[in-house]
Amino acid sequence: RGQWEHGGAGRAGQAGKMENFSALFGGAEQPPPAAAAALGFGPAKAAGAGAAPPPAASAAASAAPPAPGEGKAAAAGPFYLLRELPGSTELTGSTNLITHYNLEHAYNKFCGKKVKEKLSNFLPDLPGMIDLPGSHDNSSLRSLIEKPPICGSSFTPLTGTMLTGFRLHAGPLPEQCRLMHIQPPKKKNKHKHKQSRTQDPVPPETPSDSDHKKKKKKKEEDPERKRKKKEKKKKKNRHSPEHPGVGSSQASSSSSLR
Amino acid sequence: MAMSEKFDSLEEHLEKFVENIRQLGIIVSDFQPSSQAGLNQKLNFMVTGLQDIDKCRQQLHDISVPLEVFEYIDQGRNPQLYTKECLERALAKNEQVKGKIDTMKKFKSLLIQELTKVFPEDMAKYKAIRGEDPPP
Repeated sequence: RGQWEHGGAGRAGQAGKMENFSALFGGAEQPPPAAAAALGFGPAKAAGAGAAPPPAASAAASAAPPAPGEGKAAAAGPFYLLRELPGSTELTGSTNLITHYNLEHAYNKFCGKKVKEKLSNFLPDLPGMIDLPGSHDNSSLRSLIEKPPICGSSFTPLTGTMLTGFRLHAGPLPEQCRLMHIQPPKKKNKHKHKQSRTQDPVPPETPSDSDHKKKKKKKEEDPERKRKKKEKKKKKNRHSPEHPGVGSSQASSSSSLR
Repeated sequence: MAMSEKFDSLEEHLEKFVENIRQLGIIVSDFQPSSQAGLNQKLNFMVTGLQDIDKCRQQLHDISVPLEVFEYIDQGRNPQLYTKECLERALAKNEQVKGKIDTMKKFKSLLIQELTKVFPEDMAKYKAIRGEDPPP
């Protein structure tokens, strides 16, 4: 900057100015001042206390042959270290990259409306308390990566003798274990769904579809549900429970009980 | 195989697996001696289910999942929030960089304008080399 301020005076100053001017547009390829002096492009700083070079030095600068690799600079007239401008085809931040990569749909989908916070909203059909942090019950995916389970490379079906290890005692599970299968937040979510539906006249595509299905299912299963409840009450009273849901239909209906 | 088909297959196997586990849970929650055969069947379904999921691995070897997504899932949060935040961050950064580029363009234009006043000859040469810059 000092050179700029000094330079307005004479011809010598002009040469000094040009040097800096070129360096300004030169960018990263600028050699340090000492190197420039060695190449004969610029006067050595030792020539004077001021930054403006003497006329002789500037003449030497203009007459100096181009250094190796400076052919382009020679073609650029008084400017050296002139870099080529980046091509206009180069992709930069000046273009809307979301549009460029055709992500408008994704952007509108995720940023246009509120995405529900809970994991159970993303995986509504997944049983269990999935909204709780994985660290609570040691079920985090990260722990699976950090400490992979020690197991074989293949899965082999269980033989008859192996299956004897899975003989269970008759009777219901203790309450605290049963809680694993109960999903109290889901009921709350359903209410929330209803609330949001009343607020938003146009609900999102996928959740609305699933909601619709759920609603339909609920309607269809309502009388069945009541009947099943009665049956369960009877079962409890009799103390002679029937075979619990082995078939998928039975299992799914019992799931609706939960 | 198309990308969606690959995922559909995995999704289907996962859903079947989850459903089997759920049914297994129901059997176990109120176990009856007569349920033993059903339980054994479910246990073997679980093994075959795992085999099916494992087979899907071959089709999905080129899919990479950001580790940050697992953080969201582990915290019981919707992983779509990760996608949302990624897109928002990308757009914000895009806008920021665009702002910088536009400012630099304006600066260059002003600098050339001012330099032309002081060094008309040199700037004429410069413009001859560079060509006329489009206005910012």
